[in-house]
Amino acid sequence: MAERRKDFDADADADYDNSNRSAKRVKMDSNGYSNATKNPYLAHWDDESTKSAPANSSDVLYDFERHATTAKQAAVAEDGPINPFTGKTLSSNYMKILRKRRDLPVHKQRDEFLSLYQKSQILVFVGETGSGKTTQIPQFVCYDDLPHQNGKIVACTQPRRVAAMSVAQRVAEEMDVELGEHVGYSIRFEDKTGPDTMLKYMTDGMLLREAMHDNNLTRYSTIILDEAHERTLATDILMALLKGVVQRRKDLKLIIMSATLDATKFQSYFHSAPLLAVPGRTHTVEIFYTPSPERDYVEAALRTVLQIHSTEGEGDILLFLTGEEEIEDACRKIDMEAQDQLQDGLAGPLKVYPLYGTLPPAQQQKIFSAAPPPLKPGGRPGRKCIVSTNIAETSLTIDGIVYVVDPGFSKQKVYNPRIRVESLLVSPISKASAQQRAGRAGRTRPGKCFRLYTEDAFKKELIEQTYPEILRSNLGSTVLELKKLGVEDLVHFDLMDPPAPETLMRALEELNFLACLDDEGDLTHLGRMAAEFPLDPALAVMLIASPEFYCSNEMLSLTALLSVPQVFVRPANNRQRADEMKGLFAHSDGDHLTLLNVYHAFKQPTAQENPKQWCHDHFLSYRALQQADNVRLQLKRIMERTEIELMSTPFEDKKYYENIRRALVAGFFMQVAMRSGTGKNYLTIKDDQTVLLHPSTVLGQDSEWVVYNEFVLTNKQYIRTVTAVKPEWLLDIAPGYYDLDTFKKGDIKSTLQRVLNKMNRNAAGKKK
Amino acid sequence: MAADDEEEDYMAMVFEDAPKQETSLQRRARTEREIQSRAHPKSKAELEQEAEAAREAGLSTAIDTSSKGFKMMAKFGFKDGDTLGKSKDARREPIRVQVKDDRSGIGLESQKKRKFRERMEKAAQEAKRTKVEEGDYRDRVRQEYKDKQDEREFRNAQKTAERLQEQQLEQAAADGKGRVKGLADIPLKQINVLWRGLVRHRREKERKQEEARVRQNRLASRLPMLGDDEEDADDKMALGRDTTVTVIDDDLDDDDPDLEAFEELPIAERLQKIVLHLQETQYYCYWCKQQYPDAAMEGCPGITEEEHD
Repeated sequence: MAERRKDFDADADADYDNSNRSAKRVKMDSNGYSNATKNPYLAHWDDESTKSAPANSSDVLYDFERHATTAKQAAVAEDGPINPFTGKTLSSNYMKILRKRRDLPVHKQRDEFLSLYQKSQILVFVGETGSGKTTQIPQFVCYDDLPHQNGKIVACTQPRRVAAMSVAQRVAEEMDVELGEHVGYSIRFEDKTGPDTMLKYMTDGMLLREAMHDNNLTRYSTIILDEAHERTLATDILMALLKGVVQRRKDLKLIIMSATLDATKFQSYFHSAPLLAVPGRTHTVEIFYTPSPERDYVEAALRTVLQIHSTEGEGDILLFLTGEEEIEDACRKIDMEAQDQLQDGLAGPLKVYPLYGTLPPAQQQKIFSAAPPPLKPGGRPGRKCIVSTNIAETSLTIDGIVYVVDPGFSKQKVYNPRIRVESLLVSPISKASAQQRAGRAGRTRPGKCFRLYTEDAFKKELIEQTYPEILRSNLGSTVLELKKLGVEDLVHFDLMDPPAPETLMRALEELNFLACLDDEGDLTHLGRMAAEFPLDPALAVMLIASPEFYCSNEMLSLTALLSVPQVFVRPANNRQRADEMKGLFAHSDGDHLTLLNVYHAFKQPTAQENPKQWCHDHFLSYRALQQADNVRLQLKRIMERTEIELMSTPFEDKKYYENIRRALVAGFFMQVAMRSGTGKNYLTIKDDQTVLLHPSTVLGQDSEWVVYNEFVLTNKQYIRTVTAVKPEWLLDIAPGYYDLDTFKKGDIKSTLQRVLNKMNRNAAGKKK
Repeated sequence: MAADDEEEDYMAMVFEDAPKQETSLQRRARTEREIQSRAHPKSKAELEQEAEAAREAGLSTAIDTSSKGFKMMAKFGFKDGDTLGKSKDARREPIRVQVKDDRSGIGLESQKKRKFRERMEKAAQEAKRTKVEEGDYRDRVRQEYKDKQDEREFRNAQKTAERLQEQQLEQAAADGKGRVKGLADIPLKQINVLWRGLVRHRREKERKQEEARVRQNRLASRLPMLGDDEEDADDKMALGRDTTVTVIDDDLDDDDPDLEAFEELPIAERLQKIVLHLQETQYYCYWCKQQYPDAAMEGCPGITEEEHD
């Protein structure tokens, strides 16, 4: 066993050492290097700068007085020819980009921005899409805050990982520096920053995790919360925390950036901080409503698209629908009808592209391809039509859209603490959302937005703002994080939109059952450890408990697999084959074990020879598995740091899988269902909800009891990612939760009672 | 000391509560119940209905103040009915979960409701007016005549409504959307109150007949010459002595306040309601005696009888 464990670790350890070593090397090198460039007396050490410029021209920023600079000064410094931050000569690419940057709307108000920024500790900045705020404002701050001179960092948060990465890449290019050096990014499970980093783009969740270890965020001199209007859970928590931090740290500056004019809410929340608004570069959008409500919004949407195509002038169409199936179906129908229109000479060619989150990136890229040309020169214009979920509402910008069709629905995720279900349901959008959608038509030139509802319905039926994420989420990990942050009184924690009390009640109760909080609501030792992991509390507890079940290596893999997107690929045109391939990995005891089988097969030398091809052949997502590998490594480091032993039961041991299933129970004993009757129906414990096994479930024999990873309400109530367990384990491993006095009368209680009696009898028998 | 320990102190012996074992009777009851449920698996539709009911019940029940979470919050001065945070307009209840199971556009539902409400109000007004008018004798006679006529029309409309529902069920079964399910399988309480009276009346009659038949069978089986043990089920069936007693619809004995309330309404109003219902849900005009393809009901002159003269 010891042998095996060693083998298992060997690869990862090598990796770990390598990266450590290289990190150290970078540190040494760049320290020496940057000191030389910053120190005018050592400038001759740097060959390049001595050759190309006078010795002290890298000190352009020397006459800059922190928090007293002007746009003019900055412009001179930006003009070069020496990069004031690296001391290197600025490239021609830099100059080219600089001209474009100076055309951006925010640039005109640089002085205005600087004076407000210098005067006030907190600033609310409103810049509509296309104003350039995300890339430019942090650079404006850098030239005035001069973080590199004080060893501080300017942070700019983003709600999405992809945005943090791509914006950092772009800004590094704009500042003519290497990504990961002066400009870097930090997202969960990936940190691309170095000792020289002075501007850091990061996800809001990452900044929150940093605050756990450094409650005053002392590394930062300015924090910019970008896209605050999106109101993600982490941004909301950060706002509440920072509200306190700015009181304690008068040297910290805070900028809240929002894309909507409803920023007054932010203003009043932050003690009426000053507000600066920069107009975006958008055109007018004409809005049309339907005269009466629609009987079938999908059908109405198709009709509208085809009508636009045959009657309106040039320009692409963006249609908002709610989900993959609906979108694929609509694409097929539009395509068919458009072919007919084309043949009858009623319209030009039309290309239809779907767009939704689970679409592979290569397919997603297609939406950026150019619209088809007219059949013959001077003929009816060709155009493309993109049918998208609301990811095209904020996260993705597609130029060339002139017509927007908005049926007014989107799928929204809402957690309900009463029956602990995550619902993913089609719901009406908010007014703010509708405005955002309409705005998409005016990116390149004046456009039109067709709303498939009446003006009256818009005014009376749509809520003002989309519910912020904090009102729609399970607060388990948030509560754990806040406790770790030292926030004792969660009842009076000053959130912008406090959630319903029951949501907090449920989170506290669940953390108590997980033994992360004691009965007083204080963090336990286990809770403190669990908070170290960027995971759901149940997953973290499962991982921490896994050495007791001799399977921490396996649980580590499993946790990683549960933290990444779906690993199984099931293309619409090849479902049967995909299912056959999945069958190769199937474990009759359930999905968790099936996932492990996939991972173990993926790590076999035969698969690793050409992992991409192997994944393709087996209908698995290479990206997801690679990501899981990365997550596993990161989690492993945390386990090593917190001294959680890594071990495995020998594979030959007949308890190998049983141990894993028991370890699952240690974290997920609150997510258990019992079969009711003989069908595919299960009943969730304590909440008594009738649920179905999700169709993707692999479960060989009919099992009376299962643990599940998720309980979701879509068109039906499903439990997803399910594994068979034994009721004895539940009573044994989580006696507190399975105190039968707390169960309602019914089948579940009586069945458990029988099991308990039998266990007691056996125990008594053994004693004798 | 050590020696003392080893000696069993039987005086302090505690009799643990005997584990609550299932008695043989309980076990038999349970197995029977299980066999029953296996023999009569619930239909998909029934299960869905149950799941929905359980969900609605769960969603509308607030977490109890006996929860540990509540106690932890109470430590910081939280009381039942309070909100979190410092802002005044904080949420009290979790966001409502609303399942949308059709593709109706925004505003359609409320438009339907509004129209229905308006018509109901109109119907109520009309009914009131007719009531006030019953003054002198001639009017009363006329009213009585009209009531009788309405009564007839009402019964006819009830039958129509039931027939249309039956057609719909058959259609659904043919589409594979549900188990083939006769109207007789629907519990009384789930039948629309508008024609529940009709069904109740019929079922009561059937029950009486059934009871009579059962009595007859019992009597017959007591006669020795006919009590042939060799008879199998087929024989019994053939002889009309089916011993399986049809399960009697229990809810026939229940009180039905909804139905009572409805039947207290004046007949004109009841008629109005069922006619409206037919139009709203089936696009069926009672006065044209015709079903239309959509809600526009093109060709139908209106919703009152007069408009059809």
